Amino acid sequence: MMMRIYLAPLICLCILLSSCQKEERDFYSGMGKKPIYVSATELRNIGNEAPRPIVASGTIFLRDSLLFMLEQGQGIHVFSFQDSLNTTNLAFFKIPAITDFVISGTTLYADSWRDLVVIDISNLQAIKETDRISNVINPALYPPLYQGPFECVDETRGAVMGWEDADLENVKCISTN
Amino acid sequence: MKYLLLFSTVFLCFFSCSQDDSLELAANGKSGSITRFAIYQNYMYVLNLHEVQTYDLTQKDHPVLVNKLSTDYGLETITIYDGSVFLGSTTALYILDISNPAAPVIQSKADRLAQIGFTGCDPVVVKDNYAYSTVKIIANRCGTFSAQSALIVYDISDKSNPQVVGQYLLNTPNGLGFKDQYLFICDEGSDQLLVYDISDPTSLIQTTYGLNITDPVDLIVDGQKMIVSSKTSFEVYDVSDVAHLKKIGEIAK
Repeated sequence: MMMRIYLAPLICLCILLSSCQKEERDFYSGMGKKPIYVSATELRNIGNEAPRPIVASGTIFLRDSLLFMLEQGQGIHVFSFQDSLNTTNLAFFKIPAITDFVISGTTLYADSWRDLVVIDISNLQAIKETDRISNVINPALYPPLYQGPFECVDETRGAVMGWEDADLENVKCISTN
Repeated sequence: MKYLLLFSTVFLCFFSCSQDDSLELAANGKSGSITRFAIYQNYMYVLNLHEVQTYDLTQKDHPVLVNKLSTDYGLETITIYDGSVFLGSTTALYILDISNPAAPVIQSKADRLAQIGFTGCDPVVVKDNYAYSTVKIIANRCGTFSAQSALIVYDISDKSNPQVVGQYLLNTPNGLGFKDQYLFICDEGSDQLLVYDISDPTSLIQTTYGLNITDPVDLIVDGQKMIVSSKTSFEVYDVSDVAHLKKIGEIAK
């Protein structure tokens, strides 16, 4: 009963502000989401990897017959469809904890957790980080498009590159988004 | 003080840089409708959750953060059309004046919740004097608040005072784009690419030219070509005749 009384104004507030981010409540155990961490060292490991299938697409960017496609939290796929019947999976740029990007000329700008990274992509098979502006981005500290309990982000364990289903024990965070 | 110096340097540069170079810089590619990064002339705009950051790209490999514009929480998408920035947030459509691209200014904010009772997210495209925005309500968002998604059309001929001129209910819409008088909308909920005739922006007509695509996410129209992305794939269409959209390529499985 107490819970209901407590929740009602929260829901109203949530609708009004539509921010619905997270709220704290009693410890919760059961199914929910937990962060997939990447270490601070690994976070800075930007480079090429073998082309791979799309798992969770995001932002797309088209230039001539090259399509760049975000892979959530992982990096960017590069496809060529010069010969449209024969689309090729050309390259994969590994950019840990990425959520978005844009390209200008041969320069790619992307977020990577709290940083903005600048990458020279003039050679698609040998990309190079040229600059990094640290601590300018505020990443979402909750699972996207998800409503329910989750393990709160602990940044001492690294950056969050994704979320996975998990059997949670005594977590404090809950998303009403 | 340091910041002020930096700012004036950027300002000076803005007046001395050649406009042609900057246009060329921005013109060699395009994003889909769902993105938080955009480039205009020698500047890049990046949406943080509650602010628009402006980076000076004069030295393209070494951007400099020159401005932060505060907004309400929940910025989701950015698009630039005809010298104005359009932002989709969870509650509003923002229009920014970028006559000084180094320091965008909020020209208007059309609050969907107050005006028409919708909150949600999602992208905006602009053609002539009209902005088209899909608003996706996540099922059960905020408790039992009734879930409904829609396409909303704004008359933006007065950028300081956009007016809602149409609402069309949709299932679960994502990205959108247009070619001539046709508006394409990725409707994830119905697994369709919908095609609307927008010849009269105040009264859209849904055509029968749509396509069945599983979980469409976003699209880019580029001349006679259209790329449609889905959660795990993408397809290429010939859009030279919108009444007969033809698939000309897809990612090899």
